[in-house]
Amino acid sequence: MSEALPERAVSVWWLRWRRLQRDRAALAGGVVLLMLFALCYGAPWYQRWWGVDGIDADLLSRFDPASSTHPLGADDAGRDELAHLLLGGQTSLSIGLIGALGASLIGTLIGAVAGFFRGRVDMALMRFTDGVLALPTLPILIILAALDLSKLGFSQEFIRSGAAGYWRIVLIVTLLGWTGVARLVRAATLSLTERDFVLAARAQGASAWWILSVHILPNAISPVIVATTLAMGRVILAESALSFLGVGIQPPATSWGSMLTNAQEMIGSAPMLAIYPGAAILVTVIAINFLGDGLQTAFDPRADGH
Amino acid sequence: MIRFLLTRLAGALLTLLALSFIIFALIGLMPGDPADLLTTANPDATPADVALLRALYGVDQPILLRYWHWLEAAAHGNFGYSRMESRPVMEIVIPAIGNTVALMGTAFVVSTLIAVALGTLAAMHKGRPLDRAINLFAYAGISVPSFWLGLVLIYVFAVRLGLLPAGGMPQHDEGFGAGLAHFILPVTALVIVETGGLTRYARAAMIEVLGQDYIRTARAKGVPEGRMILRHALRNAMVPVITIIALGFGYLFSGALLIESLFAWRGMGRLILDAIMGNDYNLALVCLLFTTAMILLANIGADLAYSWLDPRISLQIGRAPKKPLRADGGRP
Amino acid sequence: MTTPLLSTRHLTVAFGGAGGLFRAGGTVRAVTDVSFALYPGEALALVGESGSGKTSLARAILGLHPHSTGEIRFRGQDTARMTASERQAMRRAVQMVFQDPFGSLDPRLPIGAVIAEPLRIHGIGNRASRADRVRELLGLVGLPADAVNRYPHQFSGGQRQRVAIARALAPGPAAIIADEPLSALDMSIQSQILNLLSDLRGRLGVSYLLISHDLAAVHHLADRVAAMYLGRIVEVAPRDALFAAPAHPYSAALLDAVPRIGTGKRIPGHALIGDMPSPMAPPPGCAFHPRCPRALARCAEEVPALIRFDADREVACHNPLVAGGA
Repeated sequence: MSEALPERAVSVWWLRWRRLQRDRAALAGGVVLLMLFALCYGAPWYQRWWGVDGIDADLLSRFDPASSTHPLGADDAGRDELAHLLLGGQTSLSIGLIGALGASLIGTLIGAVAGFFRGRVDMALMRFTDGVLALPTLPILIILAALDLSKLGFSQEFIRSGAAGYWRIVLIVTLLGWTGVARLVRAATLSLTERDFVLAARAQGASAWWILSVHILPNAISPVIVATTLAMGRVILAESALSFLGVGIQPPATSWGSMLTNAQEMIGSAPMLAIYPGAAILVTVIAINFLGDGLQTAFDPRADGH
Repeated sequence: MIRFLLTRLAGALLTLLALSFIIFALIGLMPGDPADLLTTANPDATPADVALLRALYGVDQPILLRYWHWLEAAAHGNFGYSRMESRPVMEIVIPAIGNTVALMGTAFVVSTLIAVALGTLAAMHKGRPLDRAINLFAYAGISVPSFWLGLVLIYVFAVRLGLLPAGGMPQHDEGFGAGLAHFILPVTALVIVETGGLTRYARAAMIEVLGQDYIRTARAKGVPEGRMILRHALRNAMVPVITIIALGFGYLFSGALLIESLFAWRGMGRLILDAIMGNDYNLALVCLLFTTAMILLANIGADLAYSWLDPRISLQIGRAPKKPLRADGGRP
Repeated sequence: MTTPLLSTRHLTVAFGGAGGLFRAGGTVRAVTDVSFALYPGEALALVGESGSGKTSLARAILGLHPHSTGEIRFRGQDTARMTASERQAMRRAVQMVFQDPFGSLDPRLPIGAVIAEPLRIHGIGNRASRADRVRELLGLVGLPADAVNRYPHQFSGGQRQRVAIARALAPGPAAIIADEPLSALDMSIQSQILNLLSDLRGRLGVSYLLISHDLAAVHHLADRVAAMYLGRIVEVAPRDALFAAPAHPYSAALLDAVPRIGTGKRIPGHALIGDMPSPMAPPPGCAFHPRCPRALARCAEEVPALIRFDADREVACHNPLVAGGA
């Protein structure tokens, strides 16, 4: 054989990781995100070490300015602002992550089925997708968030539980958020099914299941990862808007958005309480967008040598 | 082409129909019903009164029947009364549309101009500090929660500096300057948010165009950079941008719910929020359907614009695709 | 007369172009009324310019594309009447090597998995025996055994094509359909792969249906040659007979375009005029007549049928070249 054999196995994913490493903005975004998760979920430790409380009201400490006891001051109920911010972050970040994953799952399913089976299945699914896309997102989210579940037969206890509120938000952002991923996966599936290696598998008589799981989905996963990352940003923004309007996360649970609900009235007296949560959202979503765009460039199929 | 238009319009109509039922059903699931709202205002109401009121409003009927009644009336152009304000819905909606268009239209024009300019600048200086700065600004624009941005603007310019009003709409007795002042903060918030996304598109489109062969030819021929950008690159780069803009037209009417609420601007966005929270079926339905209809129409328009503007898209089989404009402006 | 391994009778493959947003619909017949046979152990070449329908024919045979009319037979059995397991058996026996070595291998899979895939799909052997078979195949195509864990993008075009050939050989097929296996490769690599194909044929006795527009390769590998034009077979002949004295003007023109195959006389003055017409608007009568230097009035009206010309030849022409000279 006249041609040299490559030294070691180099998978496509490894190549992409290398490309991603070169994108400093994306790496910074990823690091910031990880730090945010770590900080927010480290809130209990912070509270213990610093001896502060982000949950119980302490009316004597209301609006205390920043000090060594309260690094960011105290909020309108005397709680440590930083602790409260971190706790709220747990909610916002986790809803962002879970909501994005859920939306991706549904979107991938729908997109893969539409792109693989084509014909009428595709048309029906795409019409459905377009229909959901046509909905005015925020108003529908508001309606869904404000629904009176007792009219659907749920018990009052269930409704008032914090879990119901949390999961309801996750559910509704998933319900409206899958369309982008569906289109992406459909497009990827449509083009992949034309590729020769899929034809080769079909020529062997491979089942639809085999082709989808072995060839289509692994190859389509990269746009899905990008879309999921970016969706996380949109979910966080949506949740914060809903909570700001009072229909999202309800007290005693807290999220960055709900921390902003009272901010309007307090804007004169305690402006920083309005600044912190919004700034946290801004930093998070920027980091997500940097990371997502970096992933998109790194995963660009043209760079893989196709 | 006509077939295309008709199919799409028919599809849009179907979507609106389906949507109207969905919204109708969903609002019915919102807390309270019209009778409740009246009884909370009047604690003396007896259960008999409540039952009477319910019958009057037809709230005791099954939802399909109620929807059908609404649909029948709507088909005749009668969109009913707003429960909240006890006025015909159209009386409330029409001025709101005007208010929203004024706000969104201004923001739209300003943000488009800025985005195209910034995008072009960024593309021309690709990779260098100016590009990075513009990129950062664009990212910030798409990442910031709009209502928070509005709050910050209010704090800085209204509360601390006292330069601009914290909200509200221009009043008749205010005079031009004072009236204009009401526009500035909400439009600024909107512009910052919208420019972000549009800038990235414009930048990407411009980068692609600047990489084309005919641009390199023009450069080699010595065409000055500025003139080349303006006359040649811009036209071709605008094709994808124009489709985005066409899509944006739809949002002209839906208004920015959050910004309008924050700045007490009596536009469609605010109206929708109030109607939903106030369980005002008629108003909410009309507002939502109207805004969706506008978005659907804008989508169709964007498709048409795209296939018309991009000469590479062959609309009929067998027609040879036209080549892009030459560097000297002529066609090959 | 042995049963052909693969044969078709009056096969037509049409693509229904559905009307889109902005365009009218219309059917394209990629393959029209094609009848031919591939016998066990032989190498049949299908030649013609791009657009002649060669690839569509191959895909129809493999069942990758539905055919509109006509029969496809495998070992004499009509494929339309096969049971699922019979069809699966046919798929094992007839394998395909694709043109693009970059696109025919899944970039996510190491090539060991690529080669083993047919074995897994057909349920042949277990993990250990498949691994052995993969090693064996790698040896057959001239790749080292520890290439198993490498990924397609780490290999050159020629090496990838070897992998594709190994994959095709994995289930022990009776026939391999090679669709332009050399076109995407560099000139120097082409001869290597050609030799490999020739070598494998000698060792394993597998039949080939070689689709190619490269007449030099055809000359090296093929026993018989069929020429296709705009979806129809215009001539079928043994290799030497065709190269020495083509009967159909199109075959003559194809040979004329190739610099020196080095066999027999060349017939001058048969250069092709113009481009192949679009399959959507085929000329009436003989599809070749607008470009044919020997066209008669009859050619514009009547489609010539593929008829026996010689002991071992078929030609579809109203005015064929008499064997032996103009």
